[in-house]
Amino acid sequence: MKKRIFFMLFFYSIYVTYSQEKVTDSLQSKALEEVIVTATRTERSLSSLPLPSAIITADAISKAGVTRLSDIIAEQTGLITIPDFGGAEGIQMQGLDAAYTLILLDGVPLIGRSAGTLDLSRISVGNISSIEIVKGASSSLYGSDALAGVINIITKKPKEDVFSGTGTYRYATFETQDANLDFVWKKKAFSGSVFTNYFATDGYDLNEATPEKTVEAYQNVTIQPKFYYDFSKRLQLVLGTRFYHQEQDYKATIDSERYKGLSKIMEWDTQIKVSQKWNASIDSEYELYATNYKTDEFLNDSQGFAFENSFYNQWVFRPEIRTTFSFPKSKITTGLGLNHETLDRTYFASEVVFNSQYVYLQYDYNPSKKWNILTGFRLDNHNQYQSQWSPKIAANYKLNTHLSLKSSIGYGYKAPDFRQLYFDFTNSAIGYAVFGYNVAEERLNALDNQGQVLFRTNGIDFSSELKPESSVNLNLGSFYEKHNFKWDTNVFYNAISNLIDTKVIAQKTNGQNVFSYFNIDEIFTYGFENNFHYSFHSNLKFSLGYQYLIAKDKTVLQELDSGTVFARDANTLESFQLKKTDYFGLFNRSKHTANFKVLYTISKLKTTFNLRVFYRSKYGIVDSNNNQILDQYDVFVKDYFLTNLSITKTFNQKMSVQIGSNNLFNFKNPDQISAISGRQLFARIQFNL
Amino acid sequence: MNTKLIQLSIFSLFIFFTSCTNDDDAVTVTPVSLETKTVTNLYAPQTGGQGQPTAGAFTKFSFSENQIVASDNWDIAFRGTTLIVNGGEAIGLTDEPTRTGDGAVSKVVGTFNTVTTIPDAASFAQDGSGTYAFAEPWYDYNGTTHIITPKAGTIYVVKTHDGKYAKFEILSYYQDAPANPDMTSVSRYYTFKFVYQPNNTTHF
Repeated sequence: MKKRIFFMLFFYSIYVTYSQEKVTDSLQSKALEEVIVTATRTERSLSSLPLPSAIITADAISKAGVTRLSDIIAEQTGLITIPDFGGAEGIQMQGLDAAYTLILLDGVPLIGRSAGTLDLSRISVGNISSIEIVKGASSSLYGSDALAGVINIITKKPKEDVFSGTGTYRYATFETQDANLDFVWKKKAFSGSVFTNYFATDGYDLNEATPEKTVEAYQNVTIQPKFYYDFSKRLQLVLGTRFYHQEQDYKATIDSERYKGLSKIMEWDTQIKVSQKWNASIDSEYELYATNYKTDEFLNDSQGFAFENSFYNQWVFRPEIRTTFSFPKSKITTGLGLNHETLDRTYFASEVVFNSQYVYLQYDYNPSKKWNILTGFRLDNHNQYQSQWSPKIAANYKLNTHLSLKSSIGYGYKAPDFRQLYFDFTNSAIGYAVFGYNVAEERLNALDNQGQVLFRTNGIDFSSELKPESSVNLNLGSFYEKHNFKWDTNVFYNAISNLIDTKVIAQKTNGQNVFSYFNIDEIFTYGFENNFHYSFHSNLKFSLGYQYLIAKDKTVLQELDSGTVFARDANTLESFQLKKTDYFGLFNRSKHTANFKVLYTISKLKTTFNLRVFYRSKYGIVDSNNNQILDQYDVFVKDYFLTNLSITKTFNQKMSVQIGSNNLFNFKNPDQISAISGRQLFARIQFNL
Repeated sequence: MNTKLIQLSIFSLFIFFTSCTNDDDAVTVTPVSLETKTVTNLYAPQTGGQGQPTAGAFTKFSFSENQIVASDNWDIAFRGTTLIVNGGEAIGLTDEPTRTGDGAVSKVVGTFNTVTTIPDAASFAQDGSGTYAFAEPWYDYNGTTHIITPKAGTIYVVKTHDGKYAKFEILSYYQDAPANPDMTSVSRYYTFKFVYQPNNTTHF
């Protein structure tokens, strides 16, 4: 009943804001209207938004029975979790790597991408009210990193006078424990929430032959208090902070000598926000965000002597002011901010500082009932690389009450990261070296003076700055909704230039190479995404998601055109020339990914069954025939299915029990996929205060 | 039935054309079809390696004789993954054979059959003190599996010790040339195929 009222209120607020275009809507569809804030930084109805986007609700997360953000993200159409070398699980969106998706927590960016990937398993889903996903370049609002898209995690916020608490305990295979305690209250002007999570797992081992496990045991704690105070209806304060601490066993065997250590992550972020309503049409938000991401890692030999030590310590301070002007037919959002970022880490000569200032402007215009036009730009001025100007324009056309068409074109960019500019790394065992672009020349000269350089690669020049990676993104989609049927589709295209990759800059006298980072490649991705939802009745719902993807490197296509790429015949062992059709594309990209979900509720038993099946077609992870491209003669990871099932039974408002299994059919591919552990059974009990 | 007839007629046409050109010694006419020969399991042992100084006799090969030779009439020689040519100066290796010939090597990117002309003289290199005619490694090394794979699309045109030409492609470094060598495969057994041009033409 409460939910109903909430929806009605929701509907009312949307109705007021969008009275211009909503008059023709049926009451039914409005009551279910979903609202998204990430796409425009204002509350917007999802159906009229001209950008490809999706919302994952708290209810969907709860029924899926997952505990970490990476788990639920991996269940969405077109989002594929890809582990990087360190095992961090990042997200591939529209065929672009994890480094190109911006991850926000309540609108502010999470940091700590030590190797480019932000590990999504760092985030507990216990206090999430919704996850908003906006696909396509979003640098016009969010600046760097928002090249493939943005994922915004929105935490629960009390809406009415309440005091409630939720306690959850979940136990799963591999001695995995997850415990949540979440309090939410609101009394008149003062409200808040305190969330704590404890997660521990024994890890798992896919290869018994090695002394190390595939994933070593680890545990982490999240404490996340958030307070809201309304000085008046016009002035509100939000104060939120989050602590995260993780410890993981670190083990290694080097030259048959066993080493043991510990790997620690400490994360802290704080957000202070004041919202001010000047009058009926002008709102401002003043936001101060500070965050620190720190890791410490050591490895000792069997006698307890230090073998390896490393650390990473990144800070970001970011004040921002946003103002929204609301007019009958349009909304203008402006923002102004600055970013101060520092990083000190092992393999950096000293602490490095990034400073940038930015402004953005967005115009959200409804010229008629049928049209919505969204346009904007952002300007970033940076002390390390050239200024970036990121425009975007999008339009939504409502053909009739059921069908709307949407299209967008935008610019996205990703600034060179600290590592690409300042890395100063020499491998002690093998002897190769990697230098960041900004320090490479100086370090190379130093090596030369020591007589360590055999020869330098011709034509290497550091005189111009390393450019940010940039993209042009196009989307064309439609949204159809009628009765119990919902269908959205989107065709996308991304062209990325100035992709940064390593290149050999010199050879050392020890025969090893010296690398640095350069703007080398041009890649493109295109494909389409489809989502069908059908409710037979309120107790039985189906959905089907599918993505088709092609991701290729332009330089490889040119090489194939000129006939300089070869492979060997498996029988005759003779070389033969590869054709363009032999080129599979970039690593880690599957042409087809699909998901099928069923949600079935037996009202009498208060029991819900949630079955999800996921498919991923074959993809490549190694160039097994050494011709520098992934072609159809390479060894591929075979296609596979994963099935997750969870059954939730509610006893009364106070308690619910859930059992289930992730990877029900125990799929494993130990040689090629280390991130899939095998079947995991779980049981969860939840108490509501 | 029909396809057989077509195949037969193509074959006879082929015979007709090749027999026509057989007696021609003019360079401009369709080149003589030379025989492609395959050498299997040419053993090229070495001692040392893995940080120790390498040594041991090179396995010397003659294209014209299509066999391993003990004389100075060798064209190329193998020891482990090291390849040398009978031309130029001594590199400075232990147990290096003496060079009496005027051989040289040119690397061509392509497939074996598409290499039909002899490359420019400028692209040929000889061994020298501290430098190899086979300048870049002819193989890729996988650090995980330790497997050595000949680079696809790498064809060598060799000027033999007596000034003739041969082209060759290395197919395998392992005994009996397995399609997918693994850690149990026995290495230092070369399989390669070659075409030797006995005449003084610019074609193969």
